[in-house]
Amino acid sequence: MIGEYKGVVKNKVITALLTAYHEVLDYDGLKSILREANLLDLKDIKNIDPNDTIDFFSFKKIITAQNILLFECNSLLETIGEKFSFYLFPFGKDFKEIIKEINELIQADWKVEIIKKTPQEIQVEVKKCIFCSEIGVSCDFFKGFLVHSLQKTLQSNMKVEGSIENEDVYSPDHYNFVLKLKINKV
Amino acid sequence: MNSDEIKEFVFKITVLGNSAVGKTSLINQYIEHSFKEDYKPTLGANIIRKDVFVDEINAKCRLILWDLAGQEKYQIVRSLYFQGCVGALLVYDITRHNTFNDIEGYWLKDFKRYVKKEGSYILIGNKMDLDDQRTVPEEEGRKFAEEIKASDFIETSAKFNQNVDLAFKNLVYQILRNHGEEI
Repeated sequence: MIGEYKGVVKNKVITALLTAYHEVLDYDGLKSILREANLLDLKDIKNIDPNDTIDFFSFKKIITAQNILLFECNSLLETIGEKFSFYLFPFGKDFKEIIKEINELIQADWKVEIIKKTPQEIQVEVKKCIFCSEIGVSCDFFKGFLVHSLQKTLQSNMKVEGSIENEDVYSPDHYNFVLKLKINKV
Repeated sequence: MNSDEIKEFVFKITVLGNSAVGKTSLINQYIEHSFKEDYKPTLGANIIRKDVFVDEINAKCRLILWDLAGQEKYQIVRSLYFQGCVGALLVYDITRHNTFNDIEGYWLKDFKRYVKKEGSYILIGNKMDLDDQRTVPEEEGRKFAEEIKASDFIETSAKFNQNVDLAFKNLVYQILRNHGEEI
Protein backbone atom coordinates (compact mmCIF):
# COMPACT_ATOMS: atom_id res chain seq x y z
CA MET A 1 0.00 0.00 0.00
CA ILE A 2 1.20 3.50 -0.73
CA GLY A 3 -0.02 6.85 0.54
CA GLU A 4 -1.15 8.43 3.77
CA TYR A 5 -3.33 6.50 6.18
CA LYS A 6 -4.50 9.17 8.57
CA GLY A 7 -8.21 9.62 8.90
CA VAL A 8 -11.45 8.00 9.91
CA VAL A 9 -14.31 6.31 8.10
CA LYS A 10 -17.92 6.13 9.28
CA ASN A 11 -19.13 2.62 10.05
CA LYS A 12 -22.01 3.02 7.60
CA VAL A 13 -19.42 3.09 4.81
CA ILE A 14 -17.96 -0.20 5.97
CA THR A 15 -21.33 -1.90 6.25
CA ALA A 16 -22.38 -0.65 2.80
CA LEU A 17 -19.10 -1.90 1.34
CA LEU A 18 -19.31 -5.32 2.97
CA THR A 19 -22.97 -5.67 1.96
CA ALA A 20 -21.98 -4.88 -1.63
CA TYR A 21 -19.28 -7.58 -1.52
CA HIS A 22 -21.77 -10.01 -0.07
CA GLU A 23 -24.34 -9.33 -2.77
CA VAL A 24 -21.91 -9.66 -5.69
CA LEU A 25 -19.42 -12.28 -4.40
CA ASP A 26 -21.59 -13.96 -1.74
CA TYR A 27 -20.38 -14.91 1.72
CA ASP A 28 -17.15 -16.68 0.68
CA GLY A 29 -16.18 -13.77 -1.55
CA LEU A 30 -16.74 -11.33 1.29
CA LYS A 31 -14.66 -13.51 3.61
CA SER A 32 -11.90 -13.78 1.00
CA ILE A 33 -11.43 -10.02 0.89
CA LEU A 34 -11.50 -9.66 4.67
CA ARG A 35 -9.07 -12.57 5.06
CA GLU A 36 -6.67 -10.96 2.60
CA ALA A 37 -7.00 -7.71 4.60
CA ASN A 38 -6.37 -9.55 7.89
CA LEU A 39 -9.72 -8.25 9.12
CA LEU A 40 -11.80 -11.42 9.10
CA ASP A 41 -13.43 -10.40 12.39
CA LEU A 42 -15.46 -7.85 10.45
CA LYS A 43 -17.34 -10.54 8.51
CA ASP A 44 -20.28 -10.67 10.86
CA ILE A 45 -20.54 -7.04 11.97
CA LYS A 46 -24.12 -6.18 12.67
CA ASN A 47 -25.91 -3.65 14.84
CA ILE A 48 -22.98 -1.28 14.96
CA ASP A 49 -23.50 2.44 15.37
CA PRO A 50 -23.47 3.70 11.75
CA ASN A 51 -22.10 7.06 12.82
CA ASP A 52 -19.25 5.66 14.83
CA THR A 53 -15.95 5.39 12.96
CA ILE A 54 -13.09 3.03 12.20
CA ASP A 55 -9.56 4.10 11.40
CA PHE A 56 -8.76 4.87 7.78
CA PHE A 57 -5.86 2.40 7.78
CA SER A 58 -8.23 -0.55 8.33
CA PHE A 59 -10.54 0.74 5.62
CA LYS A 60 -7.59 1.09 3.26
CA LYS A 61 -6.52 -2.48 4.00
CA ILE A 62 -9.93 -3.69 2.80
CA ILE A 63 -9.71 -1.65 -0.41
CA THR A 64 -6.17 -2.90 -1.06
CA ALA A 65 -7.28 -6.50 -0.53
CA GLN A 66 -10.19 -5.89 -2.90
CA ASN A 67 -7.84 -4.56 -5.57
CA ILE A 68 -5.44 -7.48 -5.18
CA LEU A 69 -8.05 -10.20 -5.35
CA LEU A 70 -10.21 -8.56 -8.01
CA PHE A 71 -7.25 -8.00 -10.29
CA GLU A 72 -8.46 -7.23 -13.84
CA CYS A 73 -12.09 -7.69 -12.82
CA ASN A 74 -13.13 -4.30 -14.15
CA SER A 75 -16.82 -5.08 -14.64
CA LEU A 76 -17.05 -6.78 -11.28
CA LEU A 77 -15.47 -3.77 -9.54
CA GLU A 78 -17.86 -1.44 -11.32
CA THR A 79 -20.80 -3.58 -10.24
CA ILE A 80 -19.59 -3.61 -6.63
CA GLY A 81 -19.22 0.19 -6.82
CA GLU A 82 -22.83 0.47 -7.99
CA LYS A 83 -24.03 -1.72 -5.13
CA PHE A 84 -21.92 0.29 -2.68
CA SER A 85 -23.78 3.41 -3.80
CA PHE A 86 -27.10 1.62 -3.41
CA TYR A 87 -26.39 0.46 0.15
CA LEU A 88 -24.78 3.71 1.26
CA PHE A 89 -27.63 5.86 -0.07
CA PRO A 90 -30.54 3.42 -0.26
CA PHE A 91 -33.16 6.10 -0.81
CA GLY A 92 -31.12 8.09 -3.33
CA LYS A 93 -30.02 11.65 -2.87
CA ASP A 94 -29.21 14.77 -4.83
CA PHE A 95 -25.87 14.13 -6.57
CA LYS A 96 -24.31 17.28 -5.13
CA GLU A 97 -25.28 16.06 -1.65
CA ILE A 98 -23.75 12.65 -2.31
CA ILE A 99 -20.44 14.24 -3.32
CA LYS A 100 -20.46 16.41 -0.21
CA GLU A 101 -21.33 13.44 2.00
CA ILE A 102 -18.76 10.99 0.62
CA ASN A 103 -16.03 13.49 1.55
CA GLU A 104 -17.47 13.67 5.07
CA LEU A 105 -18.04 9.94 5.48
CA ILE A 106 -14.46 9.12 4.51
CA GLN A 107 -12.28 11.72 6.18
CA ALA A 108 -8.85 11.20 4.73
CA ASP A 109 -6.32 12.82 2.45
CA TRP A 110 -8.50 12.87 -0.66
CA LYS A 111 -11.10 15.08 -2.29
CA VAL A 112 -14.05 14.63 -4.59
CA GLU A 113 -15.52 17.70 -6.23
CA ILE A 114 -17.95 18.63 -9.00
CA ILE A 115 -16.03 20.93 -11.35
CA LYS A 116 -18.51 21.24 -14.21
CA LYS A 117 -22.22 20.79 -14.47
CA THR A 118 -24.45 21.10 -17.53
CA PRO A 119 -27.71 19.28 -18.33
CA GLN A 120 -25.73 16.91 -20.58
CA GLU A 121 -22.59 16.37 -18.55
CA ILE A 122 -21.18 16.48 -15.06
CA GLN A 123 -17.44 16.39 -14.43
CA VAL A 124 -16.15 15.14 -11.12
CA GLU A 125 -12.57 15.71 -10.10
CA VAL A 126 -11.08 13.14 -7.76
CA LYS A 127 -7.81 13.98 -6.04
CA LYS A 128 -5.80 11.17 -4.43
CA CYS A 129 -8.58 8.65 -5.00
CA ILE A 130 -8.45 6.19 -2.12
CA PHE A 131 -10.07 3.43 -4.17
CA CYS A 132 -7.41 3.15 -6.88
CA SER A 133 -4.17 4.28 -5.28
CA GLU A 134 -2.30 1.10 -6.23
CA ILE A 135 -0.35 1.26 -9.47
CA GLY A 136 -1.99 -0.74 -12.22
CA VAL A 137 -5.49 -0.58 -10.78
CA SER A 138 -8.18 1.27 -12.65
CA CYS A 139 -10.80 3.05 -10.64
CA ASP A 140 -13.77 1.07 -11.87
CA PHE A 141 -15.11 0.75 -8.35
CA PHE A 142 -15.49 4.48 -7.77
CA LYS A 143 -16.61 5.02 -11.35
CA GLY A 144 -19.42 2.53 -10.71
CA PHE A 145 -20.27 4.33 -7.51
CA LEU A 146 -20.49 7.76 -9.16
CA VAL A 147 -22.35 6.58 -12.27
CA HIS A 148 -24.96 4.78 -10.20
CA SER A 149 -25.28 7.64 -7.71
CA LEU A 150 -26.05 10.07 -10.54
CA GLN A 151 -28.24 7.59 -12.41
CA LYS A 152 -30.55 7.28 -9.40
CA THR A 153 -31.28 11.02 -9.48
CA LEU A 154 -32.43 10.96 -13.11
CA GLN A 155 -35.59 9.93 -14.91
CA SER A 156 -35.68 6.40 -16.26
CA ASN A 157 -35.25 7.55 -19.88
CA MET A 158 -31.85 9.03 -19.08
CA LYS A 159 -28.66 7.00 -19.01
CA VAL A 160 -25.32 7.95 -17.47
CA GLU A 161 -22.04 6.98 -19.12
CA GLY A 162 -18.82 7.49 -17.22
CA SER A 163 -15.34 7.86 -18.70
CA ILE A 164 -11.92 8.89 -17.48
CA GLU A 165 -9.94 10.73 -20.15
CA ASN A 166 -6.41 9.58 -20.95
CA GLU A 167 -6.37 7.11 -18.08
CA ASP A 168 -2.96 5.52 -17.52
CA VAL A 169 -3.17 3.11 -14.61
CA TYR A 170 0.61 2.71 -14.60
CA SER A 171 1.26 6.39 -13.99
CA PRO A 172 2.13 7.15 -10.35
CA ASP A 173 -0.28 10.08 -10.65
CA HIS A 174 -3.24 8.05 -11.89
CA TYR A 175 -5.16 8.47 -8.66
CA ASN A 176 -5.84 12.08 -9.65
CA PHE A 177 -8.40 12.15 -12.43
CA VAL A 178 -11.51 13.76 -13.85
CA LEU A 179 -14.49 11.52 -14.44
CA LYS A 180 -16.86 12.70 -17.14
CA LEU A 181 -20.44 11.65 -16.57
CA LYS A 182 -22.38 12.04 -19.79
CA ILE A 183 -26.16 12.08 -19.52
CA ASN A 184 -27.86 10.67 -22.59
CA LYS A 185 -31.49 10.12 -23.52
CA VAL A 186 -32.32 6.50 -24.31
CA MET B 1 16.25 -6.77 -20.07
CA ASN B 2 19.08 -7.79 -17.71
CA SER B 3 19.09 -11.59 -17.27
CA ASP B 4 19.27 -11.12 -13.47
CA GLU B 5 16.16 -8.98 -13.44
CA ILE B 6 13.17 -10.58 -11.77
CA LYS B 7 10.10 -10.74 -13.96
CA GLU B 8 6.69 -10.29 -12.39
CA PHE B 9 3.38 -11.78 -13.46
CA VAL B 10 -0.13 -11.81 -12.06
CA PHE B 11 -2.36 -14.66 -13.20
CA LYS B 12 -6.00 -15.16 -12.42
CA ILE B 13 -6.86 -18.86 -12.37
CA THR B 14 -10.27 -20.45 -11.88
CA VAL B 15 -11.03 -23.86 -10.47
CA LEU B 16 -14.16 -25.25 -12.09
CA GLY B 17 -16.33 -28.31 -11.68
CA ASN B 18 -19.54 -29.64 -10.16
CA SER B 19 -20.38 -29.31 -6.48
CA ALA B 20 -18.37 -31.56 -4.15
CA VAL B 21 -15.71 -32.64 -6.66
CA GLY B 22 -13.08 -31.21 -4.30
CA LYS B 23 -12.25 -27.79 -5.75
CA THR B 24 -11.91 -26.08 -2.38
CA SER B 25 -9.99 -29.07 -0.97
CA LEU B 26 -7.49 -28.90 -3.84
CA ILE B 27 -6.92 -25.20 -3.18
CA ASN B 28 -6.65 -25.69 0.60
CA GLN B 29 -4.13 -28.47 0.09
CA TYR B 30 -2.13 -26.33 -2.36
CA ILE B 31 -2.18 -23.20 -0.18
CA GLU B 32 -1.96 -24.51 3.37
CA HIS B 33 -1.43 -28.27 3.04
CA SER B 34 -4.59 -29.06 4.96
CA PHE B 35 -7.69 -31.15 4.32
CA LYS B 36 -11.09 -31.01 6.00
CA GLU B 37 -13.33 -34.07 6.01
CA ASP B 38 -16.58 -32.12 6.36
CA TYR B 39 -18.05 -30.69 3.19
CA LYS B 40 -19.20 -27.09 3.14
CA PRO B 41 -20.32 -25.83 -0.27
CA THR B 42 -18.63 -22.66 -1.48
CA LEU B 43 -20.97 -19.67 -1.52
CA GLY B 44 -20.20 -17.45 -4.51
CA ALA B 45 -16.47 -17.28 -5.01
CA ASN B 46 -13.67 -18.17 -2.68
CA ILE B 47 -10.68 -16.08 -3.79
CA ILE B 48 -7.14 -16.72 -2.56
CA ARG B 49 -3.78 -15.19 -3.39
CA LYS B 50 -0.59 -17.24 -3.60
CA ASP B 51 2.81 -15.86 -4.57
CA VAL B 52 5.19 -18.35 -6.14
CA PHE B 53 8.70 -18.01 -7.51
CA VAL B 54 9.61 -19.79 -10.72
CA ASP B 55 13.37 -20.32 -10.54
CA GLU B 56 13.77 -21.51 -14.13
CA ILE B 57 12.87 -18.10 -15.54
CA ASN B 58 13.60 -15.96 -12.48
CA ALA B 59 9.99 -14.85 -12.18
CA LYS B 60 7.62 -13.95 -9.39
CA CYS B 61 4.10 -15.11 -10.14
CA ARG B 62 1.17 -13.90 -8.12
CA LEU B 63 -1.66 -16.38 -8.51
CA ILE B 64 -5.19 -15.22 -7.81
CA LEU B 65 -7.13 -18.44 -7.42
CA TRP B 66 -10.89 -18.30 -7.89
CA ASP B 67 -12.71 -21.27 -6.45
CA LEU B 68 -16.12 -20.86 -8.06
CA ALA B 69 -19.25 -22.28 -6.50
CA GLY B 70 -20.54 -25.26 -8.44
CA GLN B 71 -24.21 -24.49 -7.93
CA GLU B 72 -26.38 -23.33 -10.83
CA LYS B 73 -27.73 -20.33 -8.93
CA TYR B 74 -24.46 -18.49 -9.58
CA GLN B 75 -24.77 -18.85 -13.37
CA ILE B 76 -25.86 -15.20 -13.83
CA VAL B 77 -22.84 -13.66 -12.11
CA ARG B 78 -20.36 -16.26 -13.34
CA SER B 79 -19.53 -14.27 -16.49
CA LEU B 80 -18.32 -11.44 -14.25
CA TYR B 81 -16.24 -13.86 -12.18
CA PHE B 82 -14.34 -15.03 -15.29
CA GLN B 83 -13.09 -11.59 -16.35
CA GLY B 84 -9.29 -11.49 -16.61
CA CYS B 85 -8.91 -15.25 -16.19
CA VAL B 86 -5.98 -16.86 -18.03
CA GLY B 87 -6.23 -20.47 -16.91
CA ALA B 88 -8.39 -23.10 -15.28
CA LEU B 89 -8.33 -26.44 -13.57
CA LEU B 90 -11.35 -28.42 -14.80
CA VAL B 91 -12.07 -30.82 -11.96
CA TYR B 92 -14.21 -33.95 -11.89
CA ASP B 93 -14.66 -36.64 -9.26
CA ILE B 94 -13.45 -40.05 -10.50
CA THR B 95 -16.24 -41.75 -8.47
CA ARG B 96 -19.11 -39.80 -10.09
CA HIS B 97 -19.33 -40.09 -13.87
CA ASN B 98 -21.84 -37.23 -14.18
CA THR B 99 -19.18 -34.79 -12.93
CA PHE B 100 -16.93 -36.01 -15.76
CA ASN B 101 -19.71 -35.58 -18.35
CA ASP B 102 -20.37 -32.04 -17.13
CA ILE B 103 -16.81 -30.95 -17.86
CA GLU B 104 -17.51 -30.93 -21.58
CA GLY B 105 -21.22 -30.20 -21.39
CA TYR B 106 -20.95 -27.31 -18.98
CA TRP B 107 -17.65 -26.15 -17.45
CA LEU B 108 -15.46 -26.12 -20.55
CA LYS B 109 -18.25 -24.36 -22.47
CA ASP B 110 -18.40 -21.70 -19.75
CA PHE B 111 -14.63 -21.27 -19.78
CA LYS B 112 -14.49 -20.93 -23.57
CA ARG B 113 -17.45 -18.56 -23.61
CA TYR B 114 -16.00 -16.10 -21.13
CA VAL B 115 -12.22 -16.48 -21.42
CA LYS B 116 -10.11 -15.32 -24.35
CA LYS B 117 -8.89 -18.12 -26.56
CA GLU B 118 -5.31 -18.20 -25.24
CA GLY B 119 -6.63 -19.43 -21.88
CA SER B 120 -5.01 -22.69 -20.72
CA TYR B 121 -6.78 -25.51 -18.94
CA ILE B 122 -5.83 -28.78 -17.34
CA LEU B 123 -8.20 -31.69 -16.75
CA ILE B 124 -8.11 -32.99 -13.18
CA GLY B 125 -9.62 -36.28 -11.97
CA ASN B 126 -9.80 -35.82 -8.21
CA LYS B 127 -10.33 -38.34 -5.39
CA MET B 128 -7.85 -40.89 -6.80
CA ASP B 129 -7.63 -42.27 -3.24
CA LEU B 130 -11.15 -43.71 -3.78
CA ASP B 131 -10.00 -46.06 -6.52
CA ASP B 132 -12.33 -48.87 -5.38
CA GLN B 133 -15.31 -46.60 -6.12
CA ARG B 134 -13.98 -45.36 -9.45
CA THR B 135 -16.49 -44.94 -12.31
CA VAL B 136 -14.23 -42.97 -14.65
CA PRO B 137 -11.25 -45.08 -15.80
CA GLU B 138 -7.96 -43.18 -15.96
CA GLU B 139 -7.66 -43.97 -19.67
CA GLU B 140 -11.06 -42.39 -20.35
CA GLY B 141 -9.93 -39.20 -18.61
CA ARG B 142 -6.66 -39.14 -20.54
CA LYS B 143 -8.40 -39.67 -23.88
CA PHE B 144 -10.94 -36.99 -23.12
CA ALA B 145 -8.20 -34.50 -22.15
CA GLU B 146 -6.69 -35.01 -25.61
CA GLU B 147 -10.07 -34.55 -27.26
CA ILE B 148 -10.73 -31.24 -25.54
CA LYS B 149 -7.12 -30.11 -26.11
CA ALA B 150 -6.38 -29.73 -22.41
CA SER B 151 -2.74 -28.89 -21.72
CA ASP B 152 -2.47 -31.83 -19.38
CA PHE B 153 -4.39 -34.54 -17.55
CA ILE B 154 -3.61 -35.34 -13.93
CA GLU B 155 -5.34 -37.48 -11.34
CA THR B 156 -5.10 -36.04 -7.83
CA SER B 157 -6.01 -36.74 -4.25
CA ALA B 158 -6.69 -33.53 -2.34
CA LYS B 159 -7.10 -35.68 0.76
CA PHE B 160 -3.64 -37.22 0.64
CA ASN B 161 -1.91 -34.39 -1.21
CA GLN B 162 -1.11 -36.48 -4.26
CA ASN B 163 -0.22 -34.54 -7.43
CA VAL B 164 -1.86 -31.34 -6.14
CA ASP B 165 1.23 -29.15 -6.39
CA LEU B 166 2.01 -30.72 -9.76
CA ALA B 167 -1.42 -29.79 -11.13
CA PHE B 168 -1.06 -26.11 -10.21
CA LYS B 169 2.59 -26.03 -11.28
CA ASN B 170 1.85 -27.48 -14.71
CA LEU B 171 -0.96 -25.01 -15.25
CA VAL B 172 1.23 -22.05 -14.28
CA TYR B 173 4.01 -23.25 -16.60
CA GLN B 174 1.55 -23.56 -19.48
CA ILE B 175 0.26 -20.04 -18.82
CA LEU B 176 3.84 -18.76 -18.78
CA ARG B 177 4.45 -20.45 -22.15
CA ASN B 178 1.37 -18.68 -23.48
CA HIS B 179 2.99 -15.45 -22.31
CA GLY B 180 6.07 -16.18 -24.41
CA GLU B 181 8.27 -17.65 -21.70
CA GLU B 182 10.47 -20.61 -22.60
CA ILE B 183 9.96 -23.04 -19.78
